[in-house]
Amino acid sequence: MSLRLLVCIPSRFGCLSCQHDSTCSCDAAKKTHHVINYQRTQTEILQALRPKSNFLLSNVVDKHRLSPLQQGTEAVAVETETTAPRDYRFVMPEFLPNADYRYRDRVLEKLERQDMLRRRAVIDIPEFYVGSIMAVCVSDPHAPGKRNRFVGICIDRSGQGLRAHFVLRNVVDGLGVEVMYKMYNPTVLSVEVLKLEKRLDDQLYYLRNCPLEYSTFDFNMDPVILPRGSQVPVNPIKVKLNPKPWEYRWERFNLKGIEPISLTPKMIKGIEKSAEPWRQNDLMMMYRSQVHEEEETEIMAEVYKEKHRIDSQKKTSRAAQRKNK
Amino acid sequence: MAAKSLYSCMRSAQTTLFVSGSCTLRSLLPSSVTCVQQVRHRRYPAFIVRPSIRKPWHVRKWTTKSDGDLIASNEAFVKDVLIDKYTGVGKVESPLKDGPWERNPFVHGTRRTGVLALKLGTTEQYTKEGNVFTVTLLQVLDNHVINYVPPEVYATYPSHRPHQGEKFGLQIVGALSCDPRMFSKAYNNLFMKAGVPPKRWLTRFLITPNAAVQPGTPLCVNHFRVGDHVDVQSRTRDWGFQGVIKRWGMKGMPASHGVTKSHRKMGSTGGGGDKGGIWRGKHMPGIMGNRLSVQHNLKIWRINTKYNILYVTGPAIAGLPHTFVRVSDTLIPTRRIKEEDAGNLPMPTWYPEDETEPIPEELFDEQLFRFTDPSVEITS
Repeated sequence: MSLRLLVCIPSRFGCLSCQHDSTCSCDAAKKTHHVINYQRTQTEILQALRPKSNFLLSNVVDKHRLSPLQQGTEAVAVETETTAPRDYRFVMPEFLPNADYRYRDRVLEKLERQDMLRRRAVIDIPEFYVGSIMAVCVSDPHAPGKRNRFVGICIDRSGQGLRAHFVLRNVVDGLGVEVMYKMYNPTVLSVEVLKLEKRLDDQLYYLRNCPLEYSTFDFNMDPVILPRGSQVPVNPIKVKLNPKPWEYRWERFNLKGIEPISLTPKMIKGIEKSAEPWRQNDLMMMYRSQVHEEEETEIMAEVYKEKHRIDSQKKTSRAAQRKNK
Repeated sequence: MAAKSLYSCMRSAQTTLFVSGSCTLRSLLPSSVTCVQQVRHRRYPAFIVRPSIRKPWHVRKWTTKSDGDLIASNEAFVKDVLIDKYTGVGKVESPLKDGPWERNPFVHGTRRTGVLALKLGTTEQYTKEGNVFTVTLLQVLDNHVINYVPPEVYATYPSHRPHQGEKFGLQIVGALSCDPRMFSKAYNNLFMKAGVPPKRWLTRFLITPNAAVQPGTPLCVNHFRVGDHVDVQSRTRDWGFQGVIKRWGMKGMPASHGVTKSHRKMGSTGGGGDKGGIWRGKHMPGIMGNRLSVQHNLKIWRINTKYNILYVTGPAIAGLPHTFVRVSDTLIPTRRIKEEDAGNLPMPTWYPEDETEPIPEELFDEQLFRFTDPSVEITS
């Protein structure tokens, strides 16, 4: 009877107890567990070969964090008292997390925000936009005086969380220079905005293919002070592109900040080919490419409250310093 | 031992199957395992789908049974009962009531238990010199010790490898408490002794008997110290069945110039002549990912005790976010915890009773930049 326990032998080799062939129908032949079935149906094979998710979705993890059975780990508190201004996400876009739901995590985002706000309490990172003219001072072991100050126009701003960065462009000795600065790098000593303004486009990489005069800024430029309470001005300048060759096919990007290009038939064909008009109507794609509004208000309320606290703290400390003098 | 010998003879029977192809039943039996004829090419089955190969000693985890359509008030009542059972007054019997087990000092060769963590994602941190590096965040969420198996018992298990001898016991650890109604009865019974709710994930660590932890003990992030090094094991992302270009990085063939229907094929499979034929191990299409990968020797840079977070060096921990990872002390000889450095090492694990003062919310490595510090000024 002990032969019945030989469970790993596939049934196609027949029944063990009665010595019959594979067509035997006695009970012992059917009791086969843990058999690797090589003769699967097509649907079974497809089911088995399908990628299986060996990770949990973030909503399941959040449920576990809030479960009453869970002890020892605190849940993330949600800010409900204050509300941030409506366009606050344009002021500090790096506080919004990655929109891809697979890479979202509440705790990670919270801890990152905490670090970012701590850094913002140490150095002043002012409000700026793509198109603003900025001056950044960093500590640099190779520079004379171990400090390097760079002035330029902000041509790009991206990255989420502690990875946020911006790119400055200027002309040094007749050569275009671009420097990428990480916003939360501790070697950044100061960030100044010399002229706060916006441009017509989200990225100004086309300045690489424009005459150098459009990206030349004086290193000793005086800061332009806007009247209190005024809106951020938009610079409507339209730059003139150099003749080809270009870095990219700029005619395909629907840029507003460049002078109209005289299109060749080949260019028109390319524009038609690369156009994706269905994107405007793909509601699901739009929904997935941005953080939901409720989450955005939660996050921005927290940031706004903390920023307000830091600013008021700085004000009081400045007032105290003045008194001591 | 009976179970083990039976298993080994089953295994030998199976290997014979492949060698001798279609053979009679008699030749499968252990008494006639001798294979007379030498076979050049071992025959492989057309499909081996790895996930279907279950260990015979594993019990079924999930259940399809349900209570049917409970009305909302009944559902809430059942949930209340469950919560009360594990946390409230009518709590299940916990082995911790019998008093703690004997605690031993850390000596050379001790292996402590590890923890099960969730990978949260990656971010960046800076050193005191201002150099940037990537860290991965691991959350140690809701961990409990489920069982301890001493070495002499483990040696009789079918999963025991003879080269391990009777040196190591098993520490079984589970993570993420769940509703018991999700699981089968056999799976729920595994947690009865420990007096904890059934866990979503179970794993086992090989430990030395002097580091055994009592079942029912919660594990948390304070099990590790800042500055120590850990080994992290997790499953890679499952890509399913993939072609050679994605799976092995082959080049494929050109898009044009007369190429038809083989733009993403692998081309030649081998040469001719004496060494002809397809060699074993030839890179071919197949199931990609969902296999274990270990990252050794990762430093713990920072610990958050409020949310139970480890900040571990590098972006290389396998899997998408919210993958389960096994974190344990490193086995790399140069980075292993030494007896003389083990003064404040929690042994066998961290207990809240050990602390006289409240532990700080965040612990930092000496070389790590803290964001509350002033900017890095380079003077030299």
